[in-house]
Amino acid sequence: MIMRMDGELVRMERATVRVTGVVQSVGFRPFIYRRAVDHDLRGTVRNLGDAGVRIELEGSVEGVDAFLADLRERSPPLASVETVRVDRESVVDPAFGTFEIVDSADGGSDAAGGGTIPPDTATCERCLADIRDPDSRYHDYWATSCVDCGPRFTVVESLPFDRPTSSMAAFPMCDACREEYEDPADRRYHAQTIACPNCGPTLRYGRFPVDTGTVDVSSTDSSAPAEGRDPFPDELDAPTDDRAAIESAAEALGRGETVVLKGIGGAHLACDATDADAVERLRKRTGRPAKPFAVMAPDAGAAASFVDLSETERAALESPRRPILLVERNRSRSPADSNGDDDRLASGIAPGLHTVGVMLPYSGVHHLLFDAIDGPLVMTSANHPGKPMLTANGPLVDGLADVADGALLHDRRIVARCDDTVARVVDGDRRLVRRSRGFTPVPVPLDLEGVEPGSTSVLGTGPELDVTAGVLHEGDCYLTQYIGDVDDLDTFAYFEDAVDHLLDVTGLECPSIIAHDSHPEFNTTDYASRLIADGTVDRSVAVQHHHAHAASVLAEHGRERAIALTLDGAGYGPDGTVWGGEVLDTSVANYERVAGLTPVPMPGGDRATRHPGRLTAGLLYANRTDTDAVERTLVRRDVPFPGGFEERNLVCQQLAAGVNTPATSSAGRFLDAVSALLGVCSERRYEGEPAMELEAVAAGGTAIDVDVPFARVDDRPAVDTPVLFDDLVELIEEGRPPADVAATAQAALARGLATLAVDAASNRNRDAVALTGGVAYNDRIATRIRERVTEAGLAFLGNERVPPGDGGIAYGQVAVATARASQE
Amino acid sequence: LKHGAGGTAMRDLVNETLAANFSDPADALVCLADMDDGAVVPIGDANLVVTTDTHVIDPPFFPGGDIGRLAVSGTVNDLAVMGATDVRGLTSAVVVEANYPVANLERIADSMAATCAEADAPVVTGDTKVMGNGELDGVIVNTAGVGIAEHVTPDAGLSPNDVVIVTDSVGEHGISLLAEREGIEFGSDLESDVKPLNGLLAAALETAGEGVTAMKDPTRMGLAGALNELARKSGVGIEIREERVPVTSDVKGTGEMLGLDPFQIANEGVAVLGVAPTAAEDVLTALRDHPKGTNAAAIGKAIDDHRGRVVLDTGIGNRYLREPASEPAPRIC
Ligand SMILES: [Fe+3]
Ligand SMILES: [Mg+2]
Ligand SMILES: [Zn+2]
Ligand SMILES: [Zn+2]
Repeated sequence: MIMRMDGELVRMERATVRVTGVVQSVGFRPFIYRRAVDHDLRGTVRNLGDAGVRIELEGSVEGVDAFLADLRERSPPLASVETVRVDRESVVDPAFGTFEIVDSADGGSDAAGGGTIPPDTATCERCLADIRDPDSRYHDYWATSCVDCGPRFTVVESLPFDRPTSSMAAFPMCDACREEYEDPADRRYHAQTIACPNCGPTLRYGRFPVDTGTVDVSSTDSSAPAEGRDPFPDELDAPTDDRAAIESAAEALGRGETVVLKGIGGAHLACDATDADAVERLRKRTGRPAKPFAVMAPDAGAAASFVDLSETERAALESPRRPILLVERNRSRSPADSNGDDDRLASGIAPGLHTVGVMLPYSGVHHLLFDAIDGPLVMTSANHPGKPMLTANGPLVDGLADVADGALLHDRRIVARCDDTVARVVDGDRRLVRRSRGFTPVPVPLDLEGVEPGSTSVLGTGPELDVTAGVLHEGDCYLTQYIGDVDDLDTFAYFEDAVDHLLDVTGLECPSIIAHDSHPEFNTTDYASRLIADGTVDRSVAVQHHHAHAASVLAEHGRERAIALTLDGAGYGPDGTVWGGEVLDTSVANYERVAGLTPVPMPGGDRATRHPGRLTAGLLYANRTDTDAVERTLVRRDVPFPGGFEERNLVCQQLAAGVNTPATSSAGRFLDAVSALLGVCSERRYEGEPAMELEAVAAGGTAIDVDVPFARVDDRPAVDTPVLFDDLVELIEEGRPPADVAATAQAALARGLATLAVDAASNRNRDAVALTGGVAYNDRIATRIRERVTEAGLAFLGNERVPPGDGGIAYGQVAVATARASQE
Repeated sequence: LKHGAGGTAMRDLVNETLAANFSDPADALVCLADMDDGAVVPIGDANLVVTTDTHVIDPPFFPGGDIGRLAVSGTVNDLAVMGATDVRGLTSAVVVEANYPVANLERIADSMAATCAEADAPVVTGDTKVMGNGELDGVIVNTAGVGIAEHVTPDAGLSPNDVVIVTDSVGEHGISLLAEREGIEFGSDLESDVKPLNGLLAAALETAGEGVTAMKDPTRMGLAGALNELARKSGVGIEIREERVPVTSDVKGTGEMLGLDPFQIANEGVAVLGVAPTAAEDVLTALRDHPKGTNAAAIGKAIDDHRGRVVLDTGIGNRYLREPASEPAPRIC
């Protein structure tokens, strides 16, 4: 019909719009409300739970058009619109007089319609402006947030996401907050974490007494309160206003002290990143002699003073997810001449590496701290080695009084721990190292050809180190936060809690199938057996480690089959050897090992991983029968062993006798061996250290053109790593610079493996090559492999949404188990 | 590392193929299906403990012992850890390859006699067979033994809070034997501590009687294997403090350099005891007063949590101590 509006004749339309995607608990309905009102539309918006949001609109054709354009282009930062279905008709009888947000069918609030909890996100620009605005009631208030930002996953106990189901329940809203909370036109409308200085969480700072001596190192979070506020321990100062507490902490940092900063999903140990003594002290006290520390810079511009940022890197740093991004130090400072400290960053931040982990402020506390501090701060997670990060005030004070000089704590309880996400831009693409804060619990779609979404529910338990678990539901794989190394039993307990919490916040039932690594001795494998034994799940599926890596890439890209280069440190192979340099012809359900690296002995098993000089010996021995030449080379190259010459000799005897010398075809171990051969790193003090330092050295070198030697192993083609290793020894002895030899090792390995993959693709008529596993973080290796693959006219596939490292294993396990179940 | 190490794979094999084919006497207290150190058959009021073991060992002569001393000690200790410290009789059956040197055979016989005297355990009957060259590798010794236990100490006897005691440092036997067999030379003089323990364990039983709740011979599967079996069969968890377990510096150093865990290495001449908390102090004193128990140490206790598992407190954190696998698989990536 035609209506007269504002003196003009306008054609009236009604539109019914269905929107799916991440549209729950992200301020989507208030956004719809505001856009509708702006375009003079009337109608309703309501949540449909998992089915998304339904909007009914009445108004002018132009208004509806403009609304739909906004919907697609201007949706809230945390929302992610996947599908929009629109039915339009012209109307005679307008049904609506106003635009309203209708409560969900079950009578709940904004999020009660089901769906999932969004991830935690950084303080948004507008909240930051409120903090900066002297006239705002949020001025200087660190814990302000709105529907576009703030903590979510880490403060929620269970669905639906509502104030009473979160740790914000302990902070009843004041009248001013309630007014905004109830005003659909306000961006804090139904923001469950709304809080202000009058009603919200508070901060306190305290200095620890010198030499406390009474520290219980084993303290864990078990004493954390289960509800209410997180009480301040007596050690902290009397209450002051929050701004004063932040200033005290800033002063302490300025004096070179270490301060515990309780944040969103955990806590950091912070110190001045430009103060070499402070950094050194932190290393000593935390027992982290070498593990790279992340730094937080006030903004991207400040970060650019010590790192080179590409556009992609800057965008990643500034995204609301605020990951720690591993970026290269400025070109002007290659590792070779970087021994001295400069005023931009102490050299002890990332010893021996050409990259540094950088992040930008993501909570109000960070922003307010940087009002008082110019330079970057070290921000390393507050945990004891191998243990989960501490999150509750009591344990933070008890457990870290010997490590820190003071603590800046708040009284909002952290319900779920969530470590910082870590990413690196490799060969132009963002690769996740840890997928955690800012991502968890957003699901990663898992669409497999011929698999009906919802036909199976699967829990993937991950491997043993760098574990993340995942649950498949209706074609979406929900991944836990980063958990860590579950060989430690506290971390294993955290694993169990994290799986339970994931089910709580997604509202999912425990799946019927459990997928786990095929290593017989992993705690995550035991966990699967236990769930089978007590009848919690019906079936378990053992998934070979590298098949899981490969399947993770296939599933991300919705591909059924490819050749996969799965390159990492170690995975249990069905033949009893340690895999890790594998070329697989793989589908999601099954795989065949078609090529790879020559297996070499790993004298002493896991000890060889910790002390890579042993791998150097293993590679030197692999093609020989006597150990004299091996020992002579080790002596000549001065490869150190922790037990000195005695151990060197014993390793040689061990190789000759074949006692505890498991065979490995791991690419990571090959790089470790080169690292020790070149004297770059002979003791691994954190995961990946020898290969990472090798990469740093190689970054300053030029690869020498060598022929890549190939061999046949069990009738499969393989890069002959022992021969390649001998060639590298020869290059060193010709006097070639270590940086060039390091670059040569990486280049030859990449070229050899890429050749094998390309050959396999042409022999077997495959059109794509995937690269995954921890070696995929190595920029030079990944770049060379991609070059070779694309030159051959094949598609190159990498992990974009889950880590190529072991944090992506659970997703791959889920994919394999799902594909197999669908074939039955 | 298949040699000598039993491993979980072997246990499964024995369970499936052997134990399943024998039916146990209805009145046996501890029998084959229990896979304990020996069987306990009641005769009248007495508990008769019976055990047998066949010894094939490469090499038959090794630093600190030989196959003869091993055969006697093994059976005596199997009886003793069931509570039968008073050995009533042993049998000895020797099978030799036709061309086996007589001098070696004499050395073995002498060693058996000396070890029997040390254990106060008489050989009451025996048998010898000769087989053709190449039909076996040198020599095999089987020993069986019987004894009476006043108080039976089965693997399943642990209750939460029982203190776990080990009578001697662990790993010497397994490491020295491995080195000898593989021709690996260390800069030290590691040797096997194979020995009969019935006298030592009698001292513990005299002191505490029923206060000793379980005993186990941590042989092929090492301390880790023994503790896991105790935990599994008793339905408890066991918590061990790594720093308290006696390990000689030679074993520790050599184990480290070979990447072998001394807790997963075979012992002959070490026993693990579970003792009620009230008796622990006295038992430890009694053991330490005995010449074969000077290194005895309380290493941990049985707990309610982690049933069927052994938790190792490394001082930095806790992890599960696992039984040795037949093929150790590296786990660090
Ligand atoms: Fe891996
Ligand atoms: Mg035995
Ligand atoms: Zn905001
Ligand atoms: Zn308020």
